Amino acid sequence: MLALTRKINESIMIGNNIEITILEIRGDQVKIGINAPKSIPVYRKEIYLQILESNKEAASAEINGDVLKELFK
Amino acid sequence: MLIKTRHFGEVDLDEEKIIHFEQGILGFEDCKNYAILYDNEDGDRPEISWLQSLEEPALAIPVISPFIIKPDYNPTVEDELLQSLGELTPDNIIVLVSVTVPNDITRISANLKAPFVINADLRKGCQVIVENTDYEIKYYFYQQLKAAKAGKEGK
Repeated sequence: MLALTRKINESIMIGNNIEITILEIRGDQVKIGINAPKSIPVYRKEIYLQILESNKEAASAEINGDVLKELFK
Repeated sequence: MLIKTRHFGEVDLDEEKIIHFEQGILGFEDCKNYAILYDNEDGDRPEISWLQSLEEPALAIPVISPFIIKPDYNPTVEDELLQSLGELTPDNIIVLVSVTVPNDITRISANLKAPFVINADLRKGCQVIVENTDYEIKYYFYQQLKAAKAGKEGK
């Protein structure tokens, strides 16, 4: 992983159109500003992982088709 | 074309029914082509369908229309995230949410946070994460569905 040291209000460019700025540092929390084209989705990683997990869970269930059919009848 | 499926054995699929997910779906990025399959043994189209991967026969995600369990479902998504699907209109848009079915059916849940959006004309789809903070990844709906069905039958 590339590690860069930045101060408040300093930025990092990723490619030509994604800018990450350090806005605030308070204790163990960092506020980060992200400037990116709207076509690029930006998520907190927890959400991303939860959805990935949810997809896997939905796909892996051993399902009793009749019970399900009955429920959605 | 003949495809192998998780729940329906080998199925003869009309190639025009293939839906292409350019980005795949989260957790299954390599699976990009899907078909929506359902059990129409009884003649009626059931409310539950399966998003069946064509690349991976074992991958089939149960899906429903979110409106069955949340009639006022109205997710907010940046237009740009759906740009790759072409022009979406009320006539060609299909919105589906995945359903997680645990052994205890009363704990069945739907993922309202990350619906599948499909352009039925162009057969293109994607999974998006919606901005609505009150839409849960695990939305439990068993009691509500039961109540709705009971209401319908009572009419």
